[in-house]
Amino acid sequence: MKRQNEGQIRIIEAFLAVLIIFSAFAVSANLAATQTMAKNDDLTSVGLQALLKLDSDGSLGKHIDGGNWSALRDSLSLVLPVGVAFNLTVYDEQMQRVNNAVVSNGAFGSQDVAFVEYVCASSGSVFRCYEVHLCLAVAK
Amino acid sequence: MPAISIDTFFACSLMVLLVLSAMAGASKLLYPHITNTIGENMGERYRETSKYILLNDGTPSNWGQNNQTIPEIFGLAKKNSNNPYELDIDKVSRLNSENVYAFSYAQMFTALKFSDVSLRIKMETFFDVAINLTAVFEASNETTYQFEILSRKYGVSVQTELRCYVIAESYFESYYVFASNGRSNLNITIPNDVDGPALLAVLARSTDDTQIVSFESYSLAHNSTEPQPGGAFLRLSPLNYSLTASFVYPETMLSNAYALTFDYSLTLTQTSISNDSATYDVANFLDFSPTLLIVTGWNSTNFFTEWTAYPQIPLETGADFADSMTLSDVYAYSYIVTINSVLYKCTIWLGGPRN
Repeated sequence: MKRQNEGQIRIIEAFLAVLIIFSAFAVSANLAATQTMAKNDDLTSVGLQALLKLDSDGSLGKHIDGGNWSALRDSLSLVLPVGVAFNLTVYDEQMQRVNNAVVSNGAFGSQDVAFVEYVCASSGSVFRCYEVHLCLAVAK
Repeated sequence: MPAISIDTFFACSLMVLLVLSAMAGASKLLYPHITNTIGENMGERYRETSKYILLNDGTPSNWGQNNQTIPEIFGLAKKNSNNPYELDIDKVSRLNSENVYAFSYAQMFTALKFSDVSLRIKMETFFDVAINLTAVFEASNETTYQFEILSRKYGVSVQTELRCYVIAESYFESYYVFASNGRSNLNITIPNDVDGPALLAVLARSTDDTQIVSFESYSLAHNSTEPQPGGAFLRLSPLNYSLTASFVYPETMLSNAYALTFDYSLTLTQTSISNDSATYDVANFLDFSPTLLIVTGWNSTNFFTEWTAYPQIPLETGADFADSMTLSDVYAYSYIVTINSVLYKCTIWLGGPRN
């Protein structure tokens, strides 16, 4: 009786091995690295450059001081590549949100969002410092 | 045959199948990640190379200003600039093939010092200006031309202010127009005793950021035949704040030369003339604007106006990757660069043999 069951036990072992190996494949496939990092690096670089260039003549600080959020949105739309969605938030020294209007060009359709943090000084006679948070994603 | 033998044979076959499928699955699963790692390294190498081109001023660092100098090491940055991605106006102008002192792709490739990397560089303004002639009203002593001027980025309107210049033989006029929704109408009136063709040159500046400027021109037949395309009579080459006008035909006679920015305009002084070219000094305007350089003259009985921009943008130079995408890995990088306080979009393509 025992000898007769040996073959059946080997089949059960084989099925268990199949189950273990394929579950290992399923888990490792989800853990595998993707290219998300590289894509985000490119977006971060583009976003940082855009803020840096807008700040190079003081216009970034001027728009924030004057609460000219539509001009800031239009400037960013002009210098950022077509198809890049952005959302900008400005905080003061106490990390209180400064912009009372949404500075964005549309909804984010992607889960790969790049984040840029930029510190900007006011060009006015009263010194103010702002922390600018810019979120970027490739529009889908 | 006993049942145990059938069961064992079946189990062994299953195990062999499992091992084979595991090997196939593992190689299939790992292959794209191995390829991605190579691709990421390649992408990183090209990204750093493209940054190097824009952040390094090359050797010698003033290679752009001297029309005879071929750089040992290629770099487009302005010498001693404190602003990252600020490019030299002359180094950029020498990339344009319309310039007689243009730097060839072979020279660029050699100076880059990477034998396995091909490159292509494109520079352009952030938005386009389109000029359309919509109507012509002829009177006895003058003619009025009605234009529609559009400022757009990929079809999206850009709010701009416009500075328009009209130039013909012994005639110069400027206009200021505000284009609130990226569209404006302009009427220009030219006396009928003025010889044409006339040139309408438009500089458009974004109202949101004065560093973002674009430009365009339109040649119109006024008391003349249809205007010839650009470069038919003169080849204009600005370099080191000097403009060289090379004659296409030897019997060319020059009338006036102008330098135009958004806020300023100036008649240029001729510094030398020979049988095949003339040179003019160009002022360095402290204005957030590219300089449009316009030269007028006569070729036998035909009046002409030729123009170029300084820096000589838009430009596209380098290797043509269009037909080699399947055999090469080509990466494109986009940057915002500054030339004389004006922002431009720079795209660099770098490619090499596919791994």
